[in-house]
Amino acid sequence: MPSHSFEASVLPHLDAAFNYARWLTRNDADAEDLVQDASIRAWRFVAALRGESARAWFLTIVRNTWYDRFGRTPAATTVPFDETRDDRSDGTLDPEARVMQREASDRVQQAIASLPVDFREVIVLREFEDLSYKEIAAVVGIPIGTVMSRLARGRDRLQDLLASDGTTGGPA
Amino acid sequence: MTCNDAADALDPYVDGELAPDEAAAFQQHVETCAACRDRLEQRRALRRAIRRVPYRAAPERLRAAVATAPRGRSIRPLLAWAATLLLGVSLGAAGAVLARRGEAGTASEVLTEAVVDAHVRALMGDHLLDVPSSDQHTVKPWFVGKIDFAPPVTDLSAEGFPLAGGRLDYVAGRPAAALVYRRRQHTIDLFVWPDAAGGPDETATLRGFNLRRWSRGGMSFRAVSDLGAADLDAFVRALQR
Repeated sequence: MPSHSFEASVLPHLDAAFNYARWLTRNDADAEDLVQDASIRAWRFVAALRGESARAWFLTIVRNTWYDRFGRTPAATTVPFDETRDDRSDGTLDPEARVMQREASDRVQQAIASLPVDFREVIVLREFEDLSYKEIAAVVGIPIGTVMSRLARGRDRLQDLLASDGTTGGPA
Repeated sequence: MTCNDAADALDPYVDGELAPDEAAAFQQHVETCAACRDRLEQRRALRRAIRRVPYRAAPERLRAAVATAPRGRSIRPLLAWAATLLLGVSLGAAGAVLARRGEAGTASEVLTEAVVDAHVRALMGDHLLDVPSSDQHTVKPWFVGKIDFAPPVTDLSAEGFPLAGGRLDYVAGRPAAALVYRRRQHTIDLFVWPDAAGGPDETATLRGFNLRRWSRGGMSFRAVSDLGAADLDAFVRALQR
């Protein structure tokens, strides 16, 4: 089996790596550093990549790199999520609706950022990266049953946080 | 399906992780249970809200830095320097071990010494486990990105050798996966690294530690413990099954 090339295995997943790193570190500078370090590790170890998903593999390296650098120190859980970001609101909405949508998505973003990292990362990997439970288990290094319970508890917390302002709409 | 079962199935259902028959049972339940239908609707609303949060794509300068860095030009000189230093340290350690044992004999004796040293170092210090877990599915992925091979990790608790976890170690200057097993109050270190050449099985005793060496599937295995020879042989047999 030919070994995988860095260009084909790692570069296509930079967005996923950065998004995950951004949610882990909650700031752009640390996230960029983290992805650079993780890329160097990935480049050194890409020959070890076999049949598994290259994206999950690279995200595992991002996670391990983050853990080695930051994971052992207790992270502040109240760092505000910074506001600079792409604005990809739906262009078909009128300006007023767009502002409301933007405000709602800011509240969701703040709520996710305020979750303890154990819950935050499984939600990010599931909702933004669309990883399967099995892939999340491999990236985070926890059993599948724990993925399931962290997702359930994290989502319960998010619903509680957002219920008061009606962001999630909720059933009529 | 009861409401309790439905609560457990809720997240796997919205994530598409249920088997078809389980998903059908869940659907059947929510059709008849308003409270569970309500919980499902809240999860769906939450998902819609989360997916409206903008995705944080990698900045262009990061993409450019990563795409060009591995071909020799370092994005951050400091980092390249650190990597070189690290390599120097491990090569230096290998050199020191070989030099110290230079007159002591064969390569295999040198390695036996190094393996026992690594085992003792781990037992004496507080660095026996980097990843404390009895779950082989947790221990194996932990090594991804830390070493350039995937050590086979087998749980042997049914055979009386429960897995305690793993750590990254260095044996005679080479990175090795160390898997840690328990037998009563004894600790067994299983060192694994790739060795395409293979080699004969070996048995050794050194400073009160028993050692077993064998190769399989392109990997070299060394088990070391203060466990009695018969118990260690049982461990090796269990692993090779």
